[in-house]
Order: sequence, then structure tokens, then C-alpha cells
Amino acid sequence: MSQTADEKARSETPEHDREIGHDEFDPIGTLTLIGIYFLILVFLWFFMYFVEFLGNDPTVVGGTLVFAATGERLR
Amino acid sequence: MTNTYIESFPAEAKVVRAAFYSSFLALAIGGLFGIVQTLHRTGYYRFMDSADYYTVLTAHGVLLAITFTIFFLVGVFTWAVTTSLDRPVEDIRFTWVWYGLMVVGTVLTAIPIFAGFTDSEMSASVLFTFYAPLQGHPLFYFGLVLFVVGTWLAGADWFRSWWAWKQEHPDERIPLPTFMVLTTTLMWYIATLGVAAAILLFLLPWSLGLVESVNPLLTRTLFWFFGHPVVYFWLMPAYMMWYIMLPKISGGKLFSDPLARVVFVLFLILSVPTGIHHQYLDPGIAEGFKFIAMTNTMFLLLPSLLTAFTVVASMEHGARQRGGTGYLGWLKALPWRDPVFAGMALAGLMFAAAGFSGMINAGMNINYLVHNTFWVVGHFHLTVGTAVALTFMAVTYWFLPQVTGKELWSRSVALGQVVLWFVGMTFMSNAMHRGGLLGIPRRTAEPQYEGFEFEAAVGSVGELDAQIALGGALLTLSLVLFFANVIGTALNSRSDDLPANEYADTLSGPSDAPLVLDNLKLWTAIAIVLVIFAYSFPLLSIIERGGLFGPELTELPVSIGPGLEYLSTTTVSTVTTAGETAIAIIAGVGS
Amino acid sequence: MRISKGALLVVIAFTAPLIVELRTVLAWVNVELTVLESAVLGIGLIGVLLVWALWPQSQNNATESAETE
Repeated sequence: MSQTADEKARSETPEHDREIGHDEFDPIGTLTLIGIYFLILVFLWFFMYFVEFLGNDPTVVGGTLVFAATGERLR
Repeated sequence: MTNTYIESFPAEAKVVRAAFYSSFLALAIGGLFGIVQTLHRTGYYRFMDSADYYTVLTAHGVLLAITFTIFFLVGVFTWAVTTSLDRPVEDIRFTWVWYGLMVVGTVLTAIPIFAGFTDSEMSASVLFTFYAPLQGHPLFYFGLVLFVVGTWLAGADWFRSWWAWKQEHPDERIPLPTFMVLTTTLMWYIATLGVAAAILLFLLPWSLGLVESVNPLLTRTLFWFFGHPVVYFWLMPAYMMWYIMLPKISGGKLFSDPLARVVFVLFLILSVPTGIHHQYLDPGIAEGFKFIAMTNTMFLLLPSLLTAFTVVASMEHGARQRGGTGYLGWLKALPWRDPVFAGMALAGLMFAAAGFSGMINAGMNINYLVHNTFWVVGHFHLTVGTAVALTFMAVTYWFLPQVTGKELWSRSVALGQVVLWFVGMTFMSNAMHRGGLLGIPRRTAEPQYEGFEFEAAVGSVGELDAQIALGGALLTLSLVLFFANVIGTALNSRSDDLPANEYADTLSGPSDAPLVLDNLKLWTAIAIVLVIFAYSFPLLSIIERGGLFGPELTELPVSIGPGLEYLSTTTVSTVTTAGETAIAIIAGVGS
Repeated sequence: MRISKGALLVVIAFTAPLIVELRTVLAWVNVELTVLESAVLGIGLIGVLLVWALWPQSQNNATESAETE
């Protein structure tokens, strides 16, 4: 590494353990977190159907979907 | 000898400081009105007349959504341009001129709003969304114009710095913070054309009595032409902080400079042609136009999701450099003790939650179920009220030492403050969302009705009210701690032991970004074309149907005396069929 | 301490949304809690967190964490 000691001391905070470059960095933790967020979004999106459509009076989309899913017409 | 901002740019530090203090003053007054509203709406403590609720609501909205956010923004942007170009502003007198213009504009706007509390004829309780037929005092509109012109000049100041820098560095890439400032400013120029047209051509002449009436739908559409991109104007400085400060504070580097540029370009081209999604329930705009607005809105999720990835990856880089390991274990290695970090991370988390309620708002059919309910209020208290406001408060703990040269009064109080904001907003915003699902309306002083009760599937409306009041109280306490810290810091003596004025390095630098990303003319042109696609036909059809100055419309001056007078006189003279229908419905419900 | 004080504070803050919405989630599986019960549950949860965080670790880890602090 061509970094001088001075530069190194400046760029590293006390908790700084190691230097990770562009090629060594594998953001697997980011994938995990974003994956969890994505699953939450998908779950909420399904959940929304129950809260917002089945909990309320029929709408154009809600009625059709319920009919498609259950064969029963909403009144 | 440290290397703080105030030492490198003493004259600019003064302007930035003044902008910050102006925004904090607005935050203090607006926040005070916030708790007043919370207690009034929920019925816990009502010391004012319910008619005054709307004056309080107007002041809360205007002071927080316009004054607090934008004053903070101009401070941050001035810091960003001077720091990243490493050059002072071209003419500090010009910088003070635009700052002064913004102050004068704010004061002129505030006068008629606050006059609403007195018995005077003057008032402007028209809410932050100042739609016709609500009519404010001309001073209100005039002040807003001055304020916006002030921000235009501020943008000119930043562009001027960049042009001057470019002469000296013809072959260099635009530094990332300056790039963010420039794209955001361009977006703002396009967006404010709508509000400028609404005010200068219609609302101000109408309020002055120069024209008889206006076309309400036209002015509403022009308002939302500006009203949606303004939310990105609040958000972009927060995004900038997430991109260029958060990685450094996490102990790492920004994952990708090119990706950051892509995100800001996307916001430039997609922010404006989406405003009609606030008008899904407006009659008079064809469904097809609303559908186009919805499509553009869904595309806007892209830059936000790109941001989620880049910012989290940058934090992870920091955590791993600090020794973090595992799939989720690295989260423990983040500097949670640091209020700047904790505040921004919590703000980002709340924004992720707001992403979901935003998707609900954006979907045309689902929007119908939450439109104009308390849900929407819950949504924007997560976005502007937390993602933006909490990020601003958190970075204030980094900026204050930079622009004052004084050490922060207390880091522990600061940490407590940001965590308290998170908890308070959890209670308040969650209950607001739930209330909206039950159909509780927004913009209403007393959402309690005789002979009717909102039905909650789980819990009760009383519980939701209690959560809202509790959340509001915690938020107020959090604000008190924030101001204690700001004042305590201002009273500190100068310190020589402060961190240097630096922002994050990048793992993948600007040299990896395609040159076309820096072609601001191209992106501006695309943005304008998209705006023309999205807006020309809706606007034409609105004008064709309702006329430029509208069908006959009697203004509704928003102060109670004239308002009542208006009601008593006009119900006799201008009863329309619509009015008759409305009365018939009310009579039907009553009987 | 297993985690830093700052992280502990943030973790406790994270319990707020869980506690608030726990009742709603449980109601879906027909477990009805009163406000008092869910408040007690919440305080209990925070208590468990505090015990977990403050419980002294085994000798090996304790020296390790002392070094890093």
C-alpha cells in the first residue's frame, strides 16, 4: 500500500479495523436486509387486500377479484 | 488548528448558519402548533376555538413544509457547493441578497397567517395547499412569490459557482455533492413554474380583486404540478446526507458514485410529471391522464429503491471495516452511539415504512380508499416529518460545530433526542394510518360526530387518539431537547478539537460513471418533454371545460366573520343545483 | 455488556412498533389483549432485552469486549 502513515492515521477512526477495497467488498448483508424488506412489502401488499378491500364495500377491482377467487359475487 | 468549515469559508459559514437558525425558528413555531393540533383534534385539550384550528394548521404546514425544510436546504446546498468545489461563493453580497429575500418572503407570508388569530380583516387560513376557492390575503401570495424568487436566486448562485469552477477545471467531472445540488435545482426550477403560474396569473390577481374568479381545478392542478416535486425538494438534501455523510460516519465509503448520479438524474426527470396523482379524486381530469401520472409515480420507486440499496451497502461497508461480520451481525458494528448516525439510520428506516404507505397512495384504485383520510397525514409525517426532519436534526449535530466552530453541547442528549423522535413518530404516525383506514378525515378540527362512530376492528378510536396524543407529546419533548442542544452549542466557547469538514470517499468513483450522466442539458430537456406529455392535455382539457378564469365562482374569504356573512348571503343568491343536492343530502342524513 | 449502550437504546426503541401492533396481529389469531396487558407485555419484553444486554458474558468474551471498548 502506498498510503503514508500520516494519511492512514487520518483516515482511520479508532474503531477502524481493516481496509476493504472495491473488489473485496461483498454486500451480502445488504442483500439480506433488502430481501427482508422486500418480503415485508410483499406480505403487506397481500395484507392490504384484506384490510382495504374486504374491510370495505365492494369496488370495481375488489368485486371482480373476489368473484374470480371464490366464484361468489359481493353484494 | 482544525479544518472546519468555518475556518475554510468564514463568510459562507455565516450565511449557512443564518439559514439553519431561520429553519430552526420555523421548526420551533411549527412544532408548537403541532402539539396544539394534536391535543385539539384528539379532544384531550381544547383551549382555542375550533375555527382557529385551521389557522394553526396553516401555520404548521407552511412553516414546516416550506420554511423549515427549504431554509435548511439552502444552508446544506451552499455548504455542499463550496465544500465540494473547494471555492467560496462568487459574490457573498449576492448570497446575502437571496437569503434576505427568503426571510422577507417568509415574514410577509406569516403576517396574514398569524393575523388569522386576531379580529382583523386580514387572514390567510388557506392551509399549506392553498386551493381556490379558499382565498387568502394578497400579502400571503406575495410573500410566497418573494420566497420562491429567493430560492431561484440561490440556485443561480450555485450554478454560478459551478460555471466559474468549470472554467478552471474544464476536464473534471462535477463533484458528486455539486452534481446533486445542480440536478435538484433544475428540478426545482421546472416545478416552481407551476406554483408561479398559479399565484401570479390567477390567485394573486383574484385576491387583489383584479379578476372576478378563477378556475379552481386549474389552480389546483398547477399547485400539484409544484406540490409533488416539492416533496423531492425536501427529500433531496436528506438523500444527499445519506449518500455523502452516512457512509463516512459509518466508517466506510459510498458504494457507488455513478449510482448516486443515476438516482438524482431520475428524480430530475420523474419528479414533476406525477403531480396529478394527488388529484385521483378530482372530477374533471380524465382517468387516462391519472393513469399516466400513476405510471410515472411507480417509476419513481426505482430511484428510491436504488437509494435503499446504495445507502445500506455503504453502511455495510463501514460496518465491515469496523470489524462487523455475518449476514446481519454487521449491524452491531455500526456506530449507534453517534447521534448523527443513529438519527439518519432511524430516519431511513421510517422512510422504508413510508415507502409502503406511499405505494398505497400511488395506486389509483387503492388511493380512493384512503384519499383525504388521516392515513395520508400519517404517510407524510413519516416522509417529510421523519425521513427529512429527523435526518436534518441528526446532521445538525454534525453541521453545528462546522458552522459555529463550537463543540456540540451534549452528544448523549442528542442521541436521546433522535431516538425519542423515532418512538414518538411510531406512535403518532401508526395511529394516524390506522385511523385513516377507519375513514377518519384529515384537515378536521373535531373528527368526532354525534350519532356516528368509526368502527375499529381491533382496539378503539379512543386508543388511537391516545396513541396520537402520546406520540405528539414525545415529539414535542424531542424538539425541546433538540433546541436545548442548539442553544447550548451556540453558547459554548470556540473549540480547537473538531472534526474536519469532509464528506465520504467512494468505492466506485466518478470515473466509473458514463459521461452522459453529467450532461445536465440533456436531462433537463427530457424532463421538460415528459412534463409536456403529462400535463399539456390535462391542462388544455381543464381550460376548455372550465375556462381560464373559470365558471362563476364566489371566493370564500377564510376568516370567520366574513365567512359566515358569505354563507348567509350566498346561500340565498347563488344557490346552484349542486348546492341544492348537497342540502338535500344533508337533510336526508339528518332526518 | 453484550452491545453498546447506544445500540441497546436503539433496540429498545425498535420494540415500540412491535408492541403497538402486537395486539392487532394477535387479534387475527383470536387472541384479544387489553391495553394494560399489551403494556405489561411490552415492559416485560424490554426487561428481557435489558437482562440479555446487561448479563455478564462468559470470561472468554468478557476480556474480549473489554479490549474493544
